[in-house]
Amino acid sequence: MSSPSLTLPSPAPAAVRRRRLLEILGALAIAATYVYLVLNQPADITGGPGSAAALVALSGFLAGAVLLIVAVLPTLPASTVVLIPVALVLNIVLGQFVGSTLVPFYLDAIGTVLIAVLAGPAAGAATGALSSIVWSFFNPTVLPFAAGAALIGCLAGLAARYGLFRRFYLAPVAGFATGIIGGVVSAPVAAFVFGGTSGVATGAIVSAFRSMGDTLLAAITKQALISDLMDKAIVFTVVAVLVYALPRRASRQFPFVRRHRVLAGKAAAPEATRPDATDATVQGPGQAS
Amino acid sequence: MRIHPLTGLAAAGSAAVITTAAASLPLSVAVSAAALALSVAAGTARRMLPAAAAVLLPLGLSLLIVHGLSFPEGLTVLAQWGPVRVTAEGLSFALERAAQVSAVVLILLACSFSLSVPDLVAALSARGIRGRFGFVLASTLTLLPAIAARAERIRQAQESRGLVIRRGILHRAAAFRLQAVPLVLSLVEDAGTRAAALEARGFSSTGPRTSYRIVPDSPGQRFLRLVLVLAGVAAVAVRLWHYAGGS
Repeated sequence: MSSPSLTLPSPAPAAVRRRRLLEILGALAIAATYVYLVLNQPADITGGPGSAAALVALSGFLAGAVLLIVAVLPTLPASTVVLIPVALVLNIVLGQFVGSTLVPFYLDAIGTVLIAVLAGPAAGAATGALSSIVWSFFNPTVLPFAAGAALIGCLAGLAARYGLFRRFYLAPVAGFATGIIGGVVSAPVAAFVFGGTSGVATGAIVSAFRSMGDTLLAAITKQALISDLMDKAIVFTVVAVLVYALPRRASRQFPFVRRHRVLAGKAAAPEATRPDATDATVQGPGQAS
Repeated sequence: MRIHPLTGLAAAGSAAVITTAAASLPLSVAVSAAALALSVAAGTARRMLPAAAAVLLPLGLSLLIVHGLSFPEGLTVLAQWGPVRVTAEGLSFALERAAQVSAVVLILLACSFSLSVPDLVAALSARGIRGRFGFVLASTLTLLPAIAARAERIRQAQESRGLVIRRGILHRAAAFRLQAVPLVLSLVEDAGTRAAALEARGFSSTGPRTSYRIVPDSPGQRFLRLVLVLAGVAAVAVRLWHYAGGS
């Protein structure tokens, strides 16, 4: 496909170093914000609107997500950039539908996980963060979850890279693991920024934990673990079904799929080891957080 | 004089940040009212209000369930049934939070619904990261109705081939697969074609670009944007400084 261009100059090593630095800074901002929020458990959370905690959560996670986008977006090949809007539309259409119904799931990451499986962890992370930012034009409450969405995209890409989509039964397992990490990272945002959840069914679960005497953060984390585990397992399974239903010609057009043999089936296609497919190997935030 | 789209975004963003930082009920209510007035004045209220309601009603209901029915820290018990305790503190916490989030949602939606997307893309489309972000934004906003229409056509085609959605989770999953696979396949195919076309027109090129759409900007608006961004940052800094000093 349209990986390194034959007519345009390739980026200078200094630019590559600067982008890598931005990526590391973004991952560090997300990780540091999370650690700060969990260690300090700001005391004003229920004593009044915990706006200091809300500001720390908002600014830290958003800055991290924006840094990741700035680092990754210019490095993606056109074939991946063109797929990102498609993924966003799938996220928004399915998420808007499920979010307002009485099911304690979100299913708002199908497009993100699809991109991550086809184009790698960096593309997945950028898609997750961009999805939250573009979606916030219709629904501003998803904006603070940009970092969590980026993390989910990155983890899905890593799962694909290490072959978890080669066996059908491993995809939901990878979804479970991603759901645990994603839920734990998103819970402080829900707790400190909104003081609750954005859906009625998830709110009922939080209320049940609260009436057993949990703190708000503990109750929302437990709710997130229940919902996100199931949610991501379903999403990963749906994406596995979709990816295997695509004809080989469509799925093998992505260098990431060919190079890391993401999908099961007769490999040994001659281009599987082609060295010139150099895109989408940039590692996202998952390693640091 | 027309308002530059980035000025509108900066105004809405800094209003949202300042409201969150101040965390005061009267300010939240005032900002919500101002956002509603602005959207009525701009003539977007008819489209904005359903979108805002779709976000805020479930959120408000959820806050009411979470804090209204169980607030272990609350002392003034208004009613109690078994484990459910309605407390005055819980209700007022839910109200404050709902007002704060409503103000932020309304001001951002009032901005995004009165924004002209072509203007925003033209303002963003310098080269590099801003151009790519502008492409993703504009492309998503224009693809949304097109993809919804295509999904509808696929559903009709499958129904004319005998697709009947019966009860039961397996039937529903099978029906979902019958509609999702053609949709995703055609979208991936289209994206490949579009990528080749864009690449042939220098999508990844870092050279200078010519834009046929010129968005008027003035030094005054540029200065205003700077002031708005600084005001937002200052509000966050003041609030965090107070917080650190107070605890």
